[in-house]
Parts: sequence; C-alpha cells; structure tokens
Amino acid sequence: MIAGAAAAPGRMRLSVALLAVSLVGPTGPFDIPLFATPPVPAAHGVARLVYASSPFGIAVTADGRARYDIQVTAAGLPAPSTLGAFTTYVAWEVTPDLDKWIRLGPITNGTTTVGSAEANKFLFVVTAEPGASQSVHTGPTVLHGTSPSGWLQSFLTHPLFRGVY
Amino acid sequence: MRTRSALLFVATILCAGAHVVAAQKTAAPPTKQLPPGMQGMPGMNGDTTKAHANATAPSKAVTTASGAPMSGMAGMQSGAMVMPIPMPPGMPMMPGLVGLTPVGSTFLPGAGVDPSRVPMVKPTTVARLKNGDTLDLTAKLVRRTIRGRSFVMYGFNGEVPGPLIRVPQNATITVRFHNQIDLPSSVHWHGVRLDNRFDGVPEITQAAVPAGGSFVYRVHFPDAGVYWYHPHVREDIEQPLGLFGNMIVDSPDRNYYSPVNQEQALMLGDLLANADSLIPFGKEGPDFALMGRVGNVLLVNGEPHYSLSAHTGDVVRFYLTNVASSRTYNVSFGGAAIKVVASDQSRFEREAWVPSVVLAPAERYIVDVRFEHPGRYVLVNSVQAINHYKGEFEPEVDTLGTVTVGATKSASDFGQQFATLRSNAEVSHDVDRYRPYFDKPPDKKLTLTVETSALPLATVQFMSIDTAYFAPVEWVDGMPDMNWLSTAKQVRWVLRDDVTGKENMDIDWHARQGSVIKLRIFNDPKSFHPMQHPIHLHGQRMLVLSRDGVPTSNFVWKDTAIIPVGSTVDLLIDASNPGAWLLHCHIAEHMGSGMMAVLHVDPR
Repeated sequence: MIAGAAAAPGRMRLSVALLAVSLVGPTGPFDIPLFATPPVPAAHGVARLVYASSPFGIAVTADGRARYDIQVTAAGLPAPSTLGAFTTYVAWEVTPDLDKWIRLGPITNGTTTVGSAEANKFLFVVTAEPGASQSVHTGPTVLHGTSPSGWLQSFLTHPLFRGVY
Repeated sequence: MRTRSALLFVATILCAGAHVVAAQKTAAPPTKQLPPGMQGMPGMNGDTTKAHANATAPSKAVTTASGAPMSGMAGMQSGAMVMPIPMPPGMPMMPGLVGLTPVGSTFLPGAGVDPSRVPMVKPTTVARLKNGDTLDLTAKLVRRTIRGRSFVMYGFNGEVPGPLIRVPQNATITVRFHNQIDLPSSVHWHGVRLDNRFDGVPEITQAAVPAGGSFVYRVHFPDAGVYWYHPHVREDIEQPLGLFGNMIVDSPDRNYYSPVNQEQALMLGDLLANADSLIPFGKEGPDFALMGRVGNVLLVNGEPHYSLSAHTGDVVRFYLTNVASSRTYNVSFGGAAIKVVASDQSRFEREAWVPSVVLAPAERYIVDVRFEHPGRYVLVNSVQAINHYKGEFEPEVDTLGTVTVGATKSASDFGQQFATLRSNAEVSHDVDRYRPYFDKPPDKKLTLTVETSALPLATVQFMSIDTAYFAPVEWVDGMPDMNWLSTAKQVRWVLRDDVTGKENMDIDWHARQGSVIKLRIFNDPKSFHPMQHPIHLHGQRMLVLSRDGVPTSNFVWKDTAIIPVGSTVDLLIDASNPGAWLLHCHIAEHMGSGMMAVLHVDPR
C-alpha cells in the first residue's frame, strides 16, 4: 500500500465491489461481484475468473487474450418460474457495447463452473431463460457484473498527463 | 505551445525536487541488501557519466520489431528536455518525468575500444560433444549489425547465440570458460541438475570470474531436453548483449520424441535501442527495475528476422527458449498446427494441441509444427498490450520471422505421427512417485511483493491511481519512462517467507536430500507495482501442482514457473540434488533488485 492510495477513486470503487463480493464468499483478485436487478432483489453472487486449462502457466488465445473459466457462486436466486415462463438461469459473456452475447452455460444457486471467457473486457450477465440450451438470450437479466479489466481507467484527462500538479 | 513548455518546465523542476523527497509508505531502508554478484562492480570500465549521454538529445524515430516506426515522445517537439527512451506509439511521456535520468552512472560495453577493431559476430556453431569431451567457451566483445545499426556487444566464442551444445543424456563434459569481456562473469547451466560446485552463481558456488580470468566447469546432463547457459553476474547487462546459448540433451531412446523432418533451436530475446545506440545500462545496479528491461527490437537467435525453408508437409521441431530479460512471449506460426511436446526438464505426460506457445523468461518449450501447405508462414508474437493512458487493451503483433514452404513435398511424410498425440507413460510413472505428497500442507510459503523508496513523484502518483485493475501478465512495457527511471537503489523486489518473515537472501531454507518440498507462492496484487514473476529454482526439478486451487492435469518437470499477479501457485520440489541452490525471479532486473533466496539441500 502506498500513501494516498486510500483516497484514490479507483481503489474506493474497488473496495465497494469487494465488499459486495464478501457477502457471498471468499474474495479473490479476479472476482467479479454480481449485482441483482429489481426482479430479484435478494440475489447476489460472485464470478471468479480462473485460467482455463493449458500446458503453459497461463491460458491465452493465439492473439494473447486471456482464457478464463468462470466459477460462479450465486445465492438468493428464486425459482426461475417465479419470473415468468422460465426454467433455468443462463450465464453469458457480453461485450461492453452489449453487441455480442456468448453463452457460457446454465447456473444455479451454489457454485457452478462455466467457461470460457476470452474477451479483454466483458460483462458477465445471468438471465432467466425458457431452457438450459438457450443460445440467444430472451429473458430478464437477474445478475450482472464487469470483468476486473473493465476497471481499467483512462488517464487521458488526468492532471498527471497534462503536467499539472 | 509556449504555455505547454512552461508547464513542462515547472513540472520538471517540481518533480526533480520531488525525486529526492518523495517517500513511499513502503520505503525500504536505503542500505538494502545487495544480492550476490550485484555488489559494486570492480573491474567495470564503462562510461561513467552521471546521466545518459543522450538524455537531452531530441528523440528520433525508432523502428519496432514489426517494422513500424516507434514514435518519439508525442508533444515533445517544443524543445523541452526529452528522455532517450522510446515510447510506444501514441503514448506520451509523463510531463513530470521530463528531464529526469536514472540514479547512478551508466554502462555500455567496449568503452575505449575502437569498434572497427571488434570482430564481427559469427554464426552459431553446433558443438556435438560426447561424454568426457572438453569445450572452450570464451565470453568476448563482438560487433553486431542490427537493422543497419552497428553495436559493440558480447558473444560466446564470438557467436550469438553461443555454440549450441548437443550431448547425449548422462554425458559429462568439461567447459573451460574464459572471461574476455569488460565485466566479471560466470556461466550458469540453466535447468541442468549438475554438481552444485559448477552452478555458476557468484558468492554461492564460486567467485565471479574477473575480466581476464577463467573457470573450469564440469557439467553432467541427467535429463533429456533443451537447456540454456548464460552468465549469473549482471544478467541484466550480459544476457541481452548476447551471452546465451542452448544445450540439447538427447535421449538414448530413438523414439523419445516423434520423428520430424528438421529441428530448429530458437532463442527469443529483445534489445532496447533508440535511433543511434543501445539504451545504456545502470552501472552500479539495474535500471528498469520496476518491470525489467523490455526491448523494442525483438530478436530470434540474435537477429531481427528469422527465416526457414521447408517442404510441404514438413514437421519441424522447434526448441524454444525465452532469453529475454523481462518479456513474456505468446508465439504462433501463421496458423500452422502446433503440438506441445515437452518443457523445461521433461516431456509432458500427454502431448497437446495449442494455439500458441507462452514462454516466460527462461522457460523452454519443445513444439512440433506441421506446415501442411506451400506458402509463407509468419512467426509472430501476439499479445494484448495495455495502454494505461487510454485505459484500453491494444493488440500488438510483432513479426519474428517467416517459414517459406515450397511446393515440393516432404521426403519423409510424418503427417500420421504428427497427428497422433502421444502419452508418455514414463513421465506419468515418474510423477506417480510424488503423488502421495500432492495433498500435504505446504512446507514453505512465499509472498512476492515489492518495496520502493525515493521514486519520482510522478511515478508514485501514477501508481497510486492506477490500482483498480492489474493485469495478471504484463506483456509489454506500457510506461517505459517510469520503468527506466526506477533503479535497484529505489526498488527492492521481495521474496518473503510467510512463516519467518525473512526476506530474500536472509531466507535460510534447509532440506534433506531426497525430501519433497511443497512450496506455495502468492504474488501479492496489492503491492506498489504487481507484476508476474518467472520463479526459477537451480539444480532441482519441480512440478506445478496447482494454480489458484485448480490442480494440474498434465504434468511436466519444470525449473521455471510463471506466477501471475494475484495467483497462488503450489510447487512440489524434488530436492534430490545436494548443495546451495538459488531460487529467484528470472526477470533479470528483479533478481538484480534483490528477488532471490537460497535453498540448501543437505546431503543424506
């Protein structure tokens, strides 16, 4: 830790996020805190990124993007049917512009491993769906979070880069 | 522009003062322990100027490995002082760092020597040696031309890489090392489980070999595979300047690997240069201490462009070694199929298809690649750089070389063998002997962290705010200005024993020969500058048991393992080779900033 770090906006945001994670279980440096939407106010969870299996120390794509399996721990999710004509919850890797949804797999309360995410930055979204094999999201979002890489900040306008102190 | 210049000037003055007074909370005592081989360098006769000679010269265009121009400092045309460090395209240097230079004096090889009298580098030769043979290995000055620029550098026997030593498994050879460079040196036989006396570590197993001195090594090769040799004195200087070479140890089993049409040993490294010269090195200790020196010219076997000719259908075995000081590679072969066969000290339990090959510094991988169709295959290093300025990932692709595949078909078609993923029962049976230890509690625990003091204020401020996300692996140096200005006097990388609290060379681990040690390593993401560390253990072999609680499913014996930021990695050490063995980060500048400890394996 360094002097002044506690006042850094990024760190404050991270602290809030990690506090949310702690409600579910142990925190890790690559945990995604999951936040509930209004239809499921009691739901909460965390998605932990762990490197996918690889002969190397880390798993990456040919162009160098990290490949993660995601361990999802969720609690407080009601039966999907309480939200409508739904039978299951499905996890998705979603590009930050919401343009591309990649199905990761069904999840339940408790811990489930789904995988694998390969985007540099992504949103992790859980929706209620009519079937476990759903390839296109149709139902309401119940949990969502942002990959830690999404916390990367732009310093374009920071005084450090403008020579102002 | 005038206003901007004025601001830059004021910032420079402010930060020059801050350079002295800034005190981080984690500041290490100024009397930090210097690691072996890093104490003041008697015999160094390089440039002793206080600041880099071209620190005030305007930055000129520098060519990246991919051939793209590497910009000078954006916005620096105002005439303000600029640094000689090439910045990534589009990345401005931080105004608060303008005009600063690293603490201490600088070094470049061959000071006072007429470059025209330094012999040109020679192509690498293959030294096929049998048990009992002797090799003379001389570190000397060589002249190399890289991208049209001539540099005085180092080479073993005048070659870069040094001679490729090829020996049968279980051979013992004698190497008469002669040091004819302008620094003390030694030779470490990386990954080889040899007699401790010949491990090449000054102040642990031998005295550094002074300029003009000699040392005789006897090297025994118990394990088949690919290894490499390099100095263990000021690796941050001697290694990037050319002192490295491969060793291939051949199994007596002709079917040890699948058949291939040809073999290639590729040593992947990099070099940091501006338009006119090499970027000088810190004389008293490493500069670039935060991230290690990340070159802007990528080299294969010392050259910026590697080329190979092959026939259609050829299977080529590549022995890959990362000899860079800091860079982690992600290498692929233009879409050709890649099968990973072996790593540091053994074959894998099971061969596997991979999209690319990830190599941390000092790691080796043996891969078979099939070039199925005629054409040009481009060997590339593809990574995702982080632009800290924009807060974005940016793909970065560097061309390392090309494989030209002619229309003529292979003389021998090994397509069938290539298509088969072999299981190596011998490896599994060997590993089986250690499975009873897999679930035991850790015998030792290490935390990896860093302490800093008196870094430039702008660096401290940036690090303070850039904490929301840390990459598990930093592939490139996104902030070379900050990195350059950090030296081993200000940065202390730390291996901390979680039980005793001892750090680095104060750690005094002992184990009985034949014992099996479970070592848990945690790379603390909350340190001032978290970064991945390739941890290397001399003279033994180890298994990576798990990463972040996920068990390894396909074992291979390793001597170097990458520990990503935030990760917890369990290693199982086969402590079978008696002696005092170094455990350290293989980022040369991290080791040179303290990140090393000793494991004593006491004889039975």
